[in-house]
Amino acid sequence: MIDTSDIRKNLKLLIDGDPWVVVDFQFVKPGKGQAFTRTRLKNMITGSVVERNYRSGEKLEEAHIDEREMVFLYSQGDTYTFMDNTTYDQVEIPSEQLGDAVHFLTENMNVEVLFFNGRPIGISLPNFVNLEIVDTEPATKGDTVSGATKPAKLSTGYTLNVPLFVNTGDWIVVDTRTGEYVERVKK
Amino acid sequence: MFPRGAAFPEGFSSIIKKRHTILRCIRDFFDQRGYIEVETPLRIRCPGFDPYIDAIPAGTGFYLAPSPELQMKRLLSLGINRIYQITRAFRANEHGPHHNSEFTMLEWYRTETDYLGILDETEELIAYLINAVDGAALSDYLPLPRMTVSDVYRKLTGWDPCATWDEERYFRDWVEKIDLWLQQQRGLFLLDFPAPLASLARISRHDPNRCERFELFIDGLEICNAFTELTDPAEHVRRFQSAQDKRRMMGKEMYPADTGFMEFIESREMPQAGGIALGIDRLMMALFGISDIEMVLAFPVSRL
Repeated sequence: MIDTSDIRKNLKLLIDGDPWVVVDFQFVKPGKGQAFTRTRLKNMITGSVVERNYRSGEKLEEAHIDEREMVFLYSQGDTYTFMDNTTYDQVEIPSEQLGDAVHFLTENMNVEVLFFNGRPIGISLPNFVNLEIVDTEPATKGDTVSGATKPAKLSTGYTLNVPLFVNTGDWIVVDTRTGEYVERVKK
Repeated sequence: MFPRGAAFPEGFSSIIKKRHTILRCIRDFFDQRGYIEVETPLRIRCPGFDPYIDAIPAGTGFYLAPSPELQMKRLLSLGINRIYQITRAFRANEHGPHHNSEFTMLEWYRTETDYLGILDETEELIAYLINAVDGAALSDYLPLPRMTVSDVYRKLTGWDPCATWDEERYFRDWVEKIDLWLQQQRGLFLLDFPAPLASLARISRHDPNRCERFELFIDGLEICNAFTELTDPAEHVRRFQSAQDKRRMMGKEMYPADTGFMEFIESREMPQAGGIALGIDRLMMALFGISDIEMVLAFPVSRL
C-alpha cells in the first residue's frame, strides 16, 4: 500500500479492480485544517476521467502495469497488432483503447505495450516520433514570416499545423504528448 | 511557464529584485508604524498547538519551527507593544504549487487591538506594497470584500458549520466547494471561523460558536491567518489537550507541551493583542500573478 504523499502524475492506482492513472493532482490544505490531495484520474481501460479527493495519509493501492517493448505490425479495421521481437508473441488492441496514440503509429514503430493482469490495455509512445507528410499546400518560396502555419496531413491520417516551408513528402518530428509539430527532419 | 529543474528560470533575476523590494517595503511599513523587528529561534523544542501541522525533526528533542508564534508572544510581556518578524517556517509533508516545506513568513503582533484592527492594518500593508512595487495584477482587486465563514458555507453548501459543527463535513465541503469557489473570487477576507477551528484565537464576544479569526484569500490562495490572541490560561490548557487528543486519534507524533510558553500564559503577562502570520512567498505570487511557488523561490526543494 502507498499513501497520498506518493501521488505523482502518471502514478497508476487500483480502484474497484480497475487501473487508473493520475493525470493531474493538487495539494489542498485549508488554513489550520486537514490536508487533501485533489486528483484527476483517468481509467486506463475505458478512458473516462473523474476527479477524486483524498484525505492526507489515506491509503491507496498501486495498480501494477507491466510494460513490454513491442513493435507495431499492422492495423486491420479497428484492431491494431503488436509483436514482441524476442518471443514473437502477438497481441491485438482495439483502436478505442489506444486513444490518440493511433494518430502517431506507423508500421515497425517500437512502443511500450501496457499489460494489466496479463491483458493488453494500451500503449505508451515515445515522446517524439518521425512521421511523413502526405498532403499539404506547396511551400511558398521566400516566405519567411515567422510563426505562420498551414494544415498538413500525415501518413497516419492525422492533420496538424506546420510552418509554411514544409512540403509534401517531408518527414517531421511530432510531440506525441501534445500532437504538435516540433521540427523538420533533415535528410 | 517556467520549467521545473535545477536551472534558474529565464528572467529570474527580476524575481530576486522584486523580493528584495517587497522585503524592504515591509520593513519600511512596520518601522514607520513604530514596530520593533524581533528574532526567534528556528530550532525549537515544542512545535505548537496545531493538530494538522507536522514539524520537521532537527536533532533529538528539537524541531524546525513551523511558526514563530509562541516565542513572539512571550516577547510581548516585555512591554514592547508592536513587534514583527520576517522569518523562515518549516512544515513537513507540504509540497505543491502553493506549498514548499520551507517558506518565508511575516508575523506581527500589536497589543490593545483585536483581529479587526489587524485586518485594517493588513489592508494598509497590501495597499502600501501595491503602490511601492507596481503590483498591477492586484491593484484593481481593492477594496477586498469581507465575508464570514457562516455566510460562505450557507451560500455554497446550505449549512452553517458555526451553528452545527461537523468537522468531517466541513473539510470535505472545503475541498470540494469552498476552495474551488475561492479560486474564482479575486480577493476576499474570510472572517469568524467556527469555534473548534480557533487554534489560539479568542472566542467571539458576540457568539460562542465562532472565534475571532480571519484569513485573506487572493485568487484562492491563502495569504494570511490572524487572531484576536487568546490570553486565558485555562483555555490554553484545554486547546493544547484537544490538539493532543486529535493527534493521538490520527496516530501522529505527539509533541511536548511548551512549558515556557504555558508558564508565561499562567503568569497573565500576555497582554490583549491581535496577531497575524502572512506568507511572503504567496503574497509575491498574488502581487505578480504567479501560479507556482517554485517561481518565486530561488531554491525550492526541487532546485536543491
